Amino acid sequence: MSEINHERFEDLKDAYVLGALPEDERRSFEDYLVAHPERQAEIDELSAVAGLLAFSPQEQEPSPELRNRVMGVVEAEADPRLVRRPSVLARVGDYLSVRNLAFGAAALLVIGLLLWNVLLQDQVQDLQGQVENAQGRVQDLQGELKDAQAQQSQTIKLKGSWAEQGAIAEVASMQKNQNILVARNMPSVPEDKTCQIWVIKGDVPKSSGLFQPDGNGTATPITNSIRKADAIAVTVERAGGSKKPTSDPVLLAKL
Amino acid sequence: MADRGREYLILADEDLISLVEAGDAEAFATLYDRHSRAAFSLAYRMMGERQASEDLTQDAFLKVWRGASSYRSERGSVRTWILSIVHNRGIDQLRSQASRRRTQDRVEATAPRSQPSEAFAETWRNSQRDQVREALNTLPSEQLKILELAYFSGYTHVEISELLRLPLGTVKGRMRLGLKKIRDYFESRDAAVPR
Repeated sequence: MSEINHERFEDLKDAYVLGALPEDERRSFEDYLVAHPERQAEIDELSAVAGLLAFSPQEQEPSPELRNRVMGVVEAEADPRLVRRPSVLARVGDYLSVRNLAFGAAALLVIGLLLWNVLLQDQVQDLQGQVENAQGRVQDLQGELKDAQAQQSQTIKLKGSWAEQGAIAEVASMQKNQNILVARNMPSVPEDKTCQIWVIKGDVPKSSGLFQPDGNGTATPITNSIRKADAIAVTVERAGGSKKPTSDPVLLAKL
Repeated sequence: MADRGREYLILADEDLISLVEAGDAEAFATLYDRHSRAAFSLAYRMMGERQASEDLTQDAFLKVWRGASSYRSERGSVRTWILSIVHNRGIDQLRSQASRRRTQDRVEATAPRSQPSEAFAETWRNSQRDQVREALNTLPSEQLKILELAYFSGYTHVEISELLRLPLGTVKGRMRLGLKKIRDYFESRDAAVPR
C-alpha cells in the first residue's frame, strides 16, 4: 500500500467518494485528508455528486413495524435525557395559544357589535332619540374595536406569483414579536416538497418555519422576529426544508 | 405528545437534529417520518431484500439518534447525511458477507446491456429524483454500471476491474468521467448539485 501524495489523492478521490476504496486505502486517504484539510471542501463537493446516486433507487415503503422497533429503542434511551428538553416546544405552544385567544376575542367582539347594530336598528323606528344615543355608543364601540385590532392584529399581505394565481397569504402580528403566516387558496406542492418561510434581513434569509399548503388554509407561526427584517418570503423547498432558499419566492412582502 | 409532534412538522431538519442531539425522541420521530422512505429505498437497492434492508435502515437511524452531534451542516443537508450513513453501513455489511447477490451481480455485470439500470427507468415521483434521473441518463451505460457497482453493491475499484475484466485505470477513468458528467449536467443548467 503506497503512501498517499497529491498525485495519488487525485487518482483515488473519485473511488473514495463512491465508497470503492479497500479499507486500508480508505484509511490512508482519510489520514491524508486530515493532514490536508484544505482539500476537504473538494471532497465534500465530489461527495455531494456521488451522493445523488442515493436518490435514484425506486421508492420502497418501510414497514410500520420498523418504525415501532426504532422508536422503541429511541424512547427507551430518551427518558433520562428528556429532562433537558429545550423550550422550543413551549414557545411554539405560546404562539398557538396566543393566536387562539386573539382570534377568539376578536370574533366575540365582532359578534357583539353585530348584535348591538341589529338591536339598535329595531329601536330606530320607535325611539328616534334613543337611536341617536345608541348610534353614538356603536361608534364608540367600533372605535374601540379598531383600536384593539390595531394593537392586536396588524396584517401584512404577501404578493408574488402564487398571489397572482389566487393565493391569499398574510402575516398577522398577534403580539409584539409573535407573528403567524395565514394562507389559503394555495397551490398544492409535491409530496417531497414543502413551503418554507424566510425572514430576510439585508441579504441574509433565516429559515422561519415550514408548512404544507392545505386546501382548508394554514396558519403557521413565524419562528424568527420580523421587527427589524427587510422582507418575508415563502419558497418551495425539498421536504424537511433547506438551509438557504434554492428557488425564487412564490410569495413575498417587503417590510 | 401528539400536539407537540404536529408542531415539530414546521421545524427544519437542522432544527430537529439539534433537538435530537438534546435527546428529544419526538424530534427524532419527525426526522424518521420525513426520511425513512428514502433511507429504506437506498437500503433495499443495496441489500436486495426486505429484512436485511430494514435491519440496515434501523441500524442507520439508531446511529442518527446516538450520533446527532456528529452532523455538520457545512457538509450537506440532514437528508444527505442520513443517506450517507445508510450507504456507508450498507457497504460495510456487503463487504462482510459472501453474498449470493454479489455473485448474481457478477453474472449480470458480464452480460451486454443496451440500457442503463432498470431502476433508472422507473417513473420517479419528484422533481429532484427527476433531475437526478436525467443526469444519470446522460451517462454512457458503461460509466453508469461502474458507478452502480461501486455505490450500491459495495465493490472496490479493484474488484470492479476484475469483475468486468477491465484495466484498473479504465475503471478509475470511468468513475471520474461519470461523476464529472453528473456535475456538468447541473452546472449546464446553472443549478447547484443538491446537497
